[in-house]
Order: sequence, then structure tokens, then C-alpha cells
Amino acid sequence: MTSNTAGPLLQVRGVSHRFGGLKAVDDAAFDVHRGEIVGLIGPNGAGKTTMFNLISGALRISQGSVRFKGEDITRLRPDQISKRGLARTFQTSKLFTGMTAFDNVRLALIYGNPLRRFRYEEAERETNKLMAAMGLLSDRNKLVRDLPLASRRHLEIARAMATSAELLLLDESMAGLTPTELERSKQLVRSLRDRGLTILMIEHVMEAIMELCDRIVVFHFGHPIAEGSPAHVAADPTVRGVYLGES
Amino acid sequence: MLISTVLSEEKPALAAIPVLIVALALAPQVVAESTLITLITVLMYATLTLSWTMFSGPTGYVSLATAALFGIGVYVAALLRDGLPIELIVLVGGAVAFLVAAAIGVLTLRLRGVYFILFTFGVTALIRNTVHWWEANVSGTVGRHVTGATNGTVYLLLMILFSAALVGGFLLRHSSVGLALQAIGENQDAAEHIGIDVIRVKVLTFAASAVLIGATGAVMATRLSYIDPSIAFNPLISFLPVVMAILGGVSRLYGPLLGATLLVVLQEFLITEYPHVYLLLFGLVLVAVVLWLPGGLVVLAQRNYFRLKVRWIRLRMRISRLRRIRQASR
Repeated sequence: MTSNTAGPLLQVRGVSHRFGGLKAVDDAAFDVHRGEIVGLIGPNGAGKTTMFNLISGALRISQGSVRFKGEDITRLRPDQISKRGLARTFQTSKLFTGMTAFDNVRLALIYGNPLRRFRYEEAERETNKLMAAMGLLSDRNKLVRDLPLASRRHLEIARAMATSAELLLLDESMAGLTPTELERSKQLVRSLRDRGLTILMIEHVMEAIMELCDRIVVFHFGHPIAEGSPAHVAADPTVRGVYLGES
Repeated sequence: MLISTVLSEEKPALAAIPVLIVALALAPQVVAESTLITLITVLMYATLTLSWTMFSGPTGYVSLATAALFGIGVYVAALLRDGLPIELIVLVGGAVAFLVAAAIGVLTLRLRGVYFILFTFGVTALIRNTVHWWEANVSGTVGRHVTGATNGTVYLLLMILFSAALVGGFLLRHSSVGLALQAIGENQDAAEHIGIDVIRVKVLTFAASAVLIGATGAVMATRLSYIDPSIAFNPLISFLPVVMAILGGVSRLYGPLLGATLLVVLQEFLITEYPHVYLLLFGLVLVAVVLWLPGGLVVLAQRNYFRLKVRWIRLRMRISRLRRIRQASR
């Protein structure tokens, strides 16, 4: 094992972020270890998505630090962070809707890959392989704007994976799905972990969180208030208070 | 699915580009001098429009800096005309335009939407006025004379630049950079998050597209023979390529070419037939295009092409069905 793999894969320390007078993230600290599926939950406005934006570089961090694979990525741009193997999806899908599903994935493969830049044609083979593995081949040549919601969600995950991701941040990728689609999505997340990915997911669908996650971090007013196994967190009186208004 | 495969077919371009280039190379032997002059104008605008489309088409960043880059080429030619061979001047014009565009890019490409448009427009005015001030106060002359070149030479040089724009545009469309530019146009945040260094891609493409604009300016300087800042940096040089690209449509390579050709021909016709109201009529045509043909002529062409193709496929199916019936009845 190299020194890179010894410590936590992602290490968030003392990160705070303000929107004007509002403290959206307040002294947040948590770890994600290799091979884990970690859930990030909390009421609306708890700062979960802001936390994602800070980790992935969409927002600049003014206070605190984020380390990924032991390297300080606090000041890096999103494209640099992506090339290091940290990928994300967005709460409202940010696919390139005027392109085919195939081109969305191919582009991520070409630009997100740190080791070797795939040539335009080579990328085609690799893209097909990845899309087949994710069960997306039937959507290959369709324009994204013609795809249904569930396919878009999966495609966005495929695009993130194509950047040769090691850590995947999923922002509510199971919201608004039918029970059948939800089942397929859960299956997909499990298969990603089996492929060696580490996953940090924001999710409001509790059923999915409880089933999939090894560990859960609960956010409230931008600050982690509880952390532990799903059973532990569900029994935690503070968490119950935040969610159910119990005191 | 059928629609997208038919529409994404750009194989005809592979055959059409060499044919077009050969035809243009032979044109001076065939056509009259007056037609050659019209062709020069067409080639100039087609090159400017194709270059503009390389960057602004996929990204949707409407640049109004074309006049600045063109004017820089014009002034490079004016300063160097009597010292260097014209081929070299054209190269220098392109190189200087590249550097200026890179500088403009670094300053402005962090801006989005309307701010970018306004900034490029402002930069053009700034450069024009700076040159004007310099000429008036430092060199002591507002206008300059540029030694002319024959129509044949001008035509040949423009044809080379135009061919470069056509081939360059084709390669860009079929490269990962082209795809990245489209991604930036659709969703810049997402583009960044899949590893695209958006600022670098934007600045480099913008600067590369400026090479041909500057070079075109350097060639055209020899046709203008007298230049001053208001001629070299004429704002119409910024606006017309945008309009031509919109008229033709930017989704296909031949769109800008179509738009430039039609507008130049229309402009020449209106100037000769209705010299007093020509700008008025020209404006009405532009308004009509934006209102009724937002995707440009390309969309119109594709729609009809697709319709014909469907009809053709249906016809073939019917024929094969008839054949099968006949065989079965035997």
C-alpha cells in the first residue's frame, strides 16, 4: 500500500462558507474512506449541496481544507479536481442536452482522464465499453433532451465515472424516480462500489440511504451533528429531534 | 433516432470541400474581372464568418471583436507593405491578431453572456480610438496609403485563407476540442467538472480563429489602398459576420458559407438597384431572418433533405415489396 491509500480518501477539515450573512457551511469536518458508501443527509437548506460545491471546486473555499488521496485540493479548479479522480453529479442534471448520450460520456473520457489523453477515435471504444457496463447502450445515439429522467440520472453518473473517478459525489440522484427505477438505481450504486469506487451521496430517499450506506453524516445548519451507521444515526436523539421535531 | 443519424451525416462535406476549393482555384481563368471582384468580397466575408463561427458558433459567446482583429491585420499591412513580400505580411497580420485575441480572451472570456458581447465591442472601439490617437499625435497622419496588389493576387491569397478556414472548421467540428467548445456553450459548470480547462480552451480557440481574421485584414488592406482607423476598424466588419452566420445557420459547416454568399450578393444587388434605401432593405431582410429562420438556412435545407430522404426510403421499400409480391405470385 502506498502512503496515498493509507489515510482517508477524502478529508474535510474546518470548512466554512458564507453566502452574505448566511453561514451555509459552518466548520464542517468528516472523512470518507476507500470503498465506503457514505450518506450525507439533513433537512433542506442544511448546506449539503454547498458542501459538494466546495469539495468539487465549484465554490472557492475561504476557510478550512479538503484533502483528496492525501493531497491538498482546497485551492484547485473543478477541472483539476476532476482530473485527480473526484467526480460529481448535480442535483438538477447538468448534462449537455444538445449532444448524444454517447458524446456526453466520450467527452468526459477524453478530458477527465489524467494519465493518457484518449484520442478521439480510441475514446469511442472505451465509451462503448463503459456505457455497456452501465446498461446505457440503448440510449447511445439519442439526444439527451429526448431521454427520460431515470436515464439522464444514470447517464450523468456514467459521465462522472468516465473521468476515471475514484470518488463519486452523487447529489440526489434518486429523487423523483418510480419504485422500479429506484430499485435499478440502488443496484447501480452497489455495482459501482463493487467496481472499486467510493461514494458520497446526498439523498432524501431514506429507503435508499438506509439500505446502501455504510455510514451516514447528518448535517444541520451547515454543521455535522451526528455520524455513524444507519442504525446508530436513526436511533440518535439529536437526529430524531432535527427530523421529527422531537425534543 | 433515424432523424439524428440523418442530420448528423456530414460525409458530403468530405467530398464537397475539395471540389469547392478546386472550383475556386480555376475561377479566375473562367470568370470576368467584375465577377472576380464580387468573388473577392464573398471570399473575404466567408472567411471572416467561418472564423467567427469556429469559436462563437459552438460556445454561443457572440464576439464583436472581429473588426478589431481585421483592423489590426490592415494596419500590419499598412506598416510593412513596402518592406516585405505580401505573403509574409499576411502571416505577420495573422500572428499579431493571434496575440491580441489571446490578450482580449484572457481579459474577457471569464465574462459570460451579454457582458462578453459588450466587452468585445468596447475593446474594438478602444483599439480603434487608440490607433486614431497614435496616428494623430505620434505619427502625425490620420490616413495611410497602402500599395495595392493585383486582383489576381488578392483573390489567390483570400482563396488560400478561405480554404484554411473551411478545412480548419471541418477538423475542429470533428475533434475533441470542437466537442469541448459545444459543451462549454451548453453548460460551462458541467464542462469544468468533467475536466475541461474551460478558460484555456476558450482563449486558445478564440486566438486561433483570430489568425485568419487578421490575415484577411492584411490581404484586404492592399485592396483598400487608402486606410484610416474608421475604415480599418469599421464596426460593420464585426456585425456582418454575425448576421451572415445567423442567416446561414451555425449548426453545419456550410451554413456560414451560404449566409456570407447570399448576403454579399444581396448587398451588391441592393447597392446598385436601390442605392438610397439599400441599408433599409438590408435591415428588413436581417429582421426577417431572425424572426422566421432562427436556425438559419441550414435548418431549412436539412428539413427538406430529410423529407426527401424519407420519401426515397419509402419508395425503395415499396419497390422491394412489389418485387417480393411478384416473386411470390410466380
